[in-house]
Formats: sequence, structure tokens, C-alpha cells
Amino acid sequence: MTSPAHVEASRSGRVAPRGPEPHQGFLRRYIFSTDHKIIGIQYIFTGLVMAIVGASLAALIRLQLGWPEHQWVLLSRLLPRGLPGGVMTPEFYLAVVTMHGTIMVFFFISYVLVSGFGNYLVPLQVGAKDMAFPVLNMLSYWVALASALTMLASFFVEGGAAAAGWTAYPPLSAVPAAVPGSQMGQTIWLLSMALFIASFTMGGLNIVATVFSVRAPGLSMMRLPLTVWSYFIAAIVGLLAFPPLTAAAVMLLLDRHFGTSFFLPAGLVVANKALPNTGGSPLLWQHLFWFLGHPEVYVLILPALGVACDILPAFTRKPVFGYRSSVWCLVAVACLSMIVWGHHMFVSGMSPFSGEYFSLVTLAITVPMTMFGVNMLASLWGAKLQLHTPALFALGVIALFGSGGLGGLFLGNATADMQLHDTYFVVGHFHMMIGGVTMLATFGALYFWFPKMFGRRMSEAAGKLHFWLTFAPFFTIFFMQHFLGLEGAPRRYYAFTAYDYLQRTRGQNLVISVAALVLIGGQLLFLANFIWSLFRGRAATENPWGATTLEWTVASPPPHGNFETIPLVRRWAYEYGIQTPQGDFAPQTWAPPQAG
Amino acid sequence: MNLALLPSAGAATDAPPRLDPRRAALVRQQQVRLGLWMFLATVAMLFAAFASAYLVRRSGSDWHPLALPRLVWVNTLVLAASSSALEAAHRAGRARRWTGARAAMIAAVALGLGFLAGQLAAWRLMTVRGASLAASPQSSFFYVLTGAHALHLVTALAVLAWTAAAAGSARRDPHGWSAQMSVCRTFWHFLGGVWLFVLALLLLS
Amino acid sequence: MKKIEALCVSALFAGLGIAGVAYGARAWLPQLASRHGAGIDAMLRYLLVSAGGLFLLGYVALGSLVWLGSRRRAIGQRLTSGRTEWLVSGALGLAVAAVGEGGVLAIGMPVWAEYFGARPPADAVTIDVTAQQFMWNVRYPGPDGVFGRTDLRLIDEASNPLGLDPSDPAGRDDIVTLNEMAVPVNRPVRIRLHSKDVIHSFFLPNLRVKQDAVPGMTPEIVFVPTRTGDFELACAELCGLAHYRMRGFVHVLTSAQFAEWLRQQSAAAAAASGGRS
Repeated sequence: MTSPAHVEASRSGRVAPRGPEPHQGFLRRYIFSTDHKIIGIQYIFTGLVMAIVGASLAALIRLQLGWPEHQWVLLSRLLPRGLPGGVMTPEFYLAVVTMHGTIMVFFFISYVLVSGFGNYLVPLQVGAKDMAFPVLNMLSYWVALASALTMLASFFVEGGAAAAGWTAYPPLSAVPAAVPGSQMGQTIWLLSMALFIASFTMGGLNIVATVFSVRAPGLSMMRLPLTVWSYFIAAIVGLLAFPPLTAAAVMLLLDRHFGTSFFLPAGLVVANKALPNTGGSPLLWQHLFWFLGHPEVYVLILPALGVACDILPAFTRKPVFGYRSSVWCLVAVACLSMIVWGHHMFVSGMSPFSGEYFSLVTLAITVPMTMFGVNMLASLWGAKLQLHTPALFALGVIALFGSGGLGGLFLGNATADMQLHDTYFVVGHFHMMIGGVTMLATFGALYFWFPKMFGRRMSEAAGKLHFWLTFAPFFTIFFMQHFLGLEGAPRRYYAFTAYDYLQRTRGQNLVISVAALVLIGGQLLFLANFIWSLFRGRAATENPWGATTLEWTVASPPPHGNFETIPLVRRWAYEYGIQTPQGDFAPQTWAPPQAG
Repeated sequence: MNLALLPSAGAATDAPPRLDPRRAALVRQQQVRLGLWMFLATVAMLFAAFASAYLVRRSGSDWHPLALPRLVWVNTLVLAASSSALEAAHRAGRARRWTGARAAMIAAVALGLGFLAGQLAAWRLMTVRGASLAASPQSSFFYVLTGAHALHLVTALAVLAWTAAAAGSARRDPHGWSAQMSVCRTFWHFLGGVWLFVLALLLLS
Repeated sequence: MKKIEALCVSALFAGLGIAGVAYGARAWLPQLASRHGAGIDAMLRYLLVSAGGLFLLGYVALGSLVWLGSRRRAIGQRLTSGRTEWLVSGALGLAVAAVGEGGVLAIGMPVWAEYFGARPPADAVTIDVTAQQFMWNVRYPGPDGVFGRTDLRLIDEASNPLGLDPSDPAGRDDIVTLNEMAVPVNRPVRIRLHSKDVIHSFFLPNLRVKQDAVPGMTPEIVFVPTRTGDFELACAELCGLAHYRMRGFVHVLTSAQFAEWLRQQSAAAAAASGGRS
């Protein structure tokens, strides 16, 4: 995939690559590589494998909720402990729900979109030979892989995987007797998260340092593509937001295994046994968790929005609308995201005054987010639209960002949240944003940059069909879930059969489950297209989409060291719609017209 | 930010300036310093999280201030001495007094090890007194705060030891050693600052 | 072919906009049964209308832009001035915020303030609810109006789940029920929430009440039922295996029926406490 070259060259980032080292074997070139492109692809492949696991877990959830009393004979042979006699046990269901959320957020979207594409694109788009710290970068991937394997291992321990939700609220997650997953499964979950945070820190440091100090000459900050801006800002937010979760995880591990009482109050009686703890606060965990948890969703969504903003112009053939204001909106959202975490805790028992404060600041976030959405929509005005596959997914991003964002209006204020907290309204909202915006952006990125990464084209027809099989069911499922929430259906329920007021949701759950199976099945088409194209796709040229950013000025795939000579940047990233010998666009390195 | 790489006026040529090794080394140092400061920002956030948890917990009705063993003060002095030795090594290096620099570095490492040993002894003293990890909220926080600090110090000590070893070849590459010292000193003094912060928290009554 | 593709995509977005609003314009909320709930419902209805309108507008706009864009042979105006860009996105951004969030603030703050800020009225019926895996222990203070002492060490899941102290005279007349409570209509009800093990959440969908029951804390809520009937109680915070069937009932009765219910419960409690000590 890349030509072999001396590693030192990439580390200094300034010296031209020397000739190929004679003894750089397969392992050094493709496995233990410090080349950001290989590392990015490693993250992407790992994330896609984890996505298959996460999607399978989703299928299990929907099978249970769509057909609550059905006996799944085939599944009971595959998963005898989880579905004895073909009926899923509640303990298995809760572990599936917990791991689905954990894996999708941290090991699919974060690995593919944030770490994978972040690693691949940022050095290329800033005109660098590699990241600022290539060895640290390689280390970040291997720690990430260890984290993923650790998380998967938790399925196989006594008591099964963690089952207290991806939010892991104590005391449920702290007391082993409270739910089977809180035996070893929860401990392994915490260890896996510690590794994840270490890996993310190493990667985040790289992105920030690279954007700050390895930009090509002429590439000022305001000439950067929105992709780079979004990764840069997301990395800073992540670096600052993750440590409180580390602190919380340490304290939870101590509560679980060493008898401390950080989160466990006095007077607990679990499974008929009085616990000796005193004075801890379950709310402390919630504050620490959500201090990370809220910025984390912006760490995921900002790159999604940035990527969509760069895919779109290649298919509208005109610049993005409102580049400057979009940059400032990204900065504003990042800052505000760090002070709104309490909107996850309106009914938690925290002071009502805090509720008023968090409602107000959450309201403030509406403004920059809406402005960003308006900019994306306005970018379509006067466009000459070509509906290739990446464009379809970028349009899907705009659509789901809008509808998901509107759901946020309901949840962000304390009053409506009283009725909607912990119901399916929340599930519908966050899936539209994280599952929708980020996932569609991830697919868009995969289709858009596949030619650059692998030197081959994916099938357009299969890609378009994949869009339809994804967008329509996805919208159906999560739009409907908002209304399930309005009907009062709580989250994390193994079944809705115990309540009279929820009987009316049977039909809706059935429709949702059918749509979910279509959605999940449709992803097989993507996988087939992806894998087939890796080996048999049509050869790709340097710049099949006619795009302006720096990665499109080098070969597909780029050689080790990316650029023969460091490019000199003369333009911003959106010179579409002007006539040059290249066509109706000018790459960032193209000389500006002579004065006079 | 690319100070060394500003295109010269009227650069219509496509060949960007090639960097000489001095300039490349300077840019590299800037990058490493930036990476270090960002890493220290994450460390600061970690201790801020522990500190906020500590301060909120302190306001509980069952909180009794913890009596710290005198050894903790001795350890603080040892850490301060280690930082001084590090600074002495830095000054010696600037004045090209390499033997002196090397000796001071070894002293800094030894004193750093002494601090860690002293902390271990302090923990043992606390446990013997009945203030074990799970004994009370104040003792739990004592171990968490000092433990987190000690773990970070172990990493810093490794950096310190590595820089001390490099002092031997500093004669040949004074700029390289100076760059390493810069990282080492920033990390070490930062953790010294964190220790004072932790101590202040623990002494709040 | 390209024209058909473009038509399908525009129709998808515009169609979803219309279908979504049609789907959403139905009666989704459970039957309302409380006073402050009217405020919450007003908020939710306002949001459904305004968000629904914005949703329809946005999706139809997206569909139209896709259709128009696919028909163009050349782009329109390439660049707009920086000032225009800031103006357009700023104005629209602030407009959406004003419509959505402004309405939310105007309607919502008073409801929140009333729900949490007001002191519990003197004539409130006070009920102690202790959540545990997987049931709701309900306790009334009885005719003396005082809750009896409880002690952790006295807890016996079979006979004394709350750990009531038999030596406390105030507790002799306490009424203890499991998974059900009765309240009088149009009178304030004050619930003191406890939890014995993990975090649960006291959720009355019809009464628009939700409050987490957090071990180590005693959150309180006050509400006024406005409709008689039997309303279900659900747990709204993941609490373990049977979280999905931690079901209870709130019977909203007339004053006379409530008094009768209390009397019957007291009699039963007296008979039971004879055997409790």
C-alpha cells in the first residue's frame, strides 16, 4: 500500500525522504508502522470489526423488543447462556445494551471517524510528511487495540459483560451483587476504558501538535479545511474532558475492590446483605462521568460535521457557505460543551438551581449549532449538485443533524426533561446524533477517501443502494423512538409487557425492529462493497472527485512521506467554481492569478 | 507557528525552503514542548477532578481532618532538594561544567527516589495508625491523591534518569541535552507544583 | 437517470418532512392527571409545534435545494461577502434559538420554579417511598402524622423491609404498603424518596412526575393530582434485572374514598403491629 522509506524522515517532518531501506519487512511496513496513513487504516479496520460486533448486539436488542415472547432456537444454539431455551435472559439483555452503547461510541465511531480519519487526513491536509510524534502515534493504536480486545474479553468472564449501562452509575456498577455484570465484567470494562483514554490522549496530543506546528508554508489557520479545524478542536476538547473519567474510574475500581466509599453511601442493603460503606455519593460519579460524557459527544460530532463540510463542496462545485462563522461556531460549541453536563442530571437529585443554570447554558449551545447547520444548508444554494455516493451521505448528515438537533430542544431544558428523561425520547435523540450524523459522516468519509487510501474505486451503484438501505430505515427507527418516549416508554427495559400504559407501543416496537433488521442487513452490502473494492476496485486517479485539499495533489495512495517536497500553499481550501487548467477548481497549491 | 519556514517575499517558485539541521532541531523542540504542555494540561485536569471530588466530600458531616505523619514534610523537602539539584545541573550545563552537571543530575535522581521511598514509608505509617485505604473518606482521598501523584512521578523519574544518563554525552551535543533538560525540568517542577497543591488540599481543616 | 435519482432524493427528504409532521401530530402523551403537568404538557406541545414546523421547513428546504441543485448546469453566485454570511447564519441561528428556546424559557421556568421552589403546603399528604430491587415500599405516617424510626439492622426482607423500630411509639400507627399508594384528588401530595440499594427513579407518566431515588439522599417532590383513577408507577433508572417490571400503582381517590382507605389501612396496620413486636 505504501512504498517503504526511512522512518527518521517522517519523524523530523522536514527532511526529504531517503531511498527505501533494504530490510524493512512486512511487519515494519504494515503492522508496526509509524506512518500515519497505515495507523489510520489500522484504526479504521479495527473500528469496522467492532462495528460488526456492535451491530450484532443491536440486532439482539431489537429481536427482544420486537418479539418479546418469541423463542429464537437458532440463536439459543449460538448463545446458549444468553438465550436458554431460545428466550433471552434479562441479565444477557442488560449486558447487550451496555456493550452495544460502549462499543458503538468508543470502539466504532471514535476509532473509525475520530482516530482513523483523524490520523489519515490531518497530516495530509496540513501538508506534512507525518504526525508530529509518529512513534507515539503507533503506540496509541496498539493501546487502542488492547483496549478493544479487553472490552471484548469482558463477555467471557463470570457474570458476563458489564450490565449497568454505558453510563455505569454506581451503586449498580459498584456492588457485584446488584447485577451479574457488576462482577468481573464491570472491572474489565473500567480497565478497557483506562486503556482507551490513554490511547486517545496520545492521539489527541498528536493531532493538536501537528496542526499547530507542522503546517506547510502558506497554510495559515484560516486556510485550513473545516475537517482539520474540527479534528483540531475535537482533540483539544477530548484531552481536557477525559481525565475526570479516569479519576472516576480509579475511584470506582477502589470502591469495587478495596472497600472505599467514594460513590457508596451508608445504609445500603443489597441482596439481603447490609454493606459497610459510609458517606459516598452516587451523584459524584454522575458529575464526573458527564463532565466527560457530554464533551465526548461533541468530540464525535465535530469531526462528522467537519468531514461533511469538506465532502459537500466537491459535489456542489462551489465553496462552503460561511467558512469563518463555521470556524467560530466550532470553537463556541467546544467551549460551551464543557459547561453543560448537568443537563443529563436534571432529575438526579442535584439542586434545582443547578437545573436552571444548566438549562440556560444548554440553550446557548443552540445558537452556534444552528448557525453551523444553516451554513451547511446554505452551501447547497446555487450549487451544481452531483449526487455521487459521498454526497448522498453528506446530505444525510445535514438532514439528521437538523432533526436530531430539534430533539435536543426538548431535552435541554429541565421542565420537559422531567417527563422525557430516561425514556426512548433520549434514545431516539442520541441515536440520531451519534448513530445518524456521525455514522453517515463516517460512511461518507469512507466512500470519499477510499480512492485516496487504497488507490481503487468503490462501486457507485452499491454505494447508492447502501445509502437508501441506511437512511430510510435509520430515520424511521429513531424518529419513531422520539414518540415512544412521549408515550412514556422508559429506557433499558427488557420488555414493555408489564405495563398497561405501554401496551400500545407493541406495534411501534415491531415496526422499529423490522426497520432495524433492514438497516443492519443493508450494512452487509457496504462490507461486501468495501472488501471487494479493496482487491478488485477500478484503479483510482490522483483526484477522482476534483477536490481542492492537499491530499488530492499526491498519488492514490500517497507514498510514504506523502509529499516529495513540502507543498507551498497559496489558497484556502474551497477554490471551487473558478476556471483553471485543472478544471472548475484550484488545488490549494495552485498559484494565484498574477496581479494587474 | 512555522517560524523557520516563512516563505520569503514574492515566493512564486514551487520549491519550498529546505531546512538546515539547526532549524529542524529548533522546530522539533517546539513540537516536543507543545506536546509536553498539552500532556501536563491533561494531568492538571486529572488532579482538578480528584480535587473537586475531595472538596465536595469534605463538606460531608462525617469528615474528620486527617493527621499527616511528619515524614510527609521531610518528603516535601527531599522533593524540593531534588528540584534544586535539577536546577543546579541546568546551570552547570549552561556553563559547560559537564562533570558538575552530571553529579547534580545523579543527586536529583537519588533524591527523587528518596521521595518515592519516603512516600511508601508514609503510607505504611498511615496504615499502621489505622488510616488504611478504606478506613475513612479522608484516608481514601489521601491515598488516591498521593498515589496518583506518585505514579506520575515514577514516569517523570524515568525521564529524569534518562536525561541524567545523557549528561555523559552532553559534551558532544549541548543543544540536544539542553532540549532534553527543558522537557525534564518542566515535567519535574510541574509535578513538584502538583505535590504542593495536593499537600495544601490535605492540610485543609 | 440522474434526473430520476435526484427526484427520488428530493422526494425522500421532502416526503419525510411531511410524513414526520403527520406522524407527530397525534396524541402521544399519556392522559394528564396533575396540576403542574399541565405546564409540562404546554411546554411539550409548544415544542412539538415549533420543532415540527422547523422540521418541516428544514426538510422541504433540503429537498428543494437538492432538486434545484441537480438541475443546474453551472453554479450560481460563487462567494457571498463575509458580512452576508454572518448575517444569514447569525439571524437564522438566533431566530431558531428564539423560537425554540425562548418559548421554552418562557413556559418552562415558572413550571420548574413552582415544582421545586415552592415550599410543601401544610395540607400536603406526606408519603415515604423507599425503592429497592425490585419493589416500592410505601409508608404513611398514620393518624399521629409522625413517621416512626427505622433502623438498618432491623431490616428483614420478608417481614420488615423498611427496618421499622417497634420500640418507637410513633411508628406503631405507620401504614406500610407494597407497590401501591392512595392519594386524594386536588390536594398536594409530598413524596419523600429513599433507596435501599441502587438508584431507582420514581416515574408517574400520567402525573408528569419523575425523580431519581438515590441511596444516601432523600429527594422530595410535591404534586397535585387533578383526576381520579388508577395510574401506573414505573422505574425510570436502570436498577438491575427486573427494572422493567418494577411496577406500582397510584390510586387517586376522592377525599371521602381516601379517608376510608386510610381508615382501612390503619386497622390492618394495628392488627399487624400486634404481631410485629
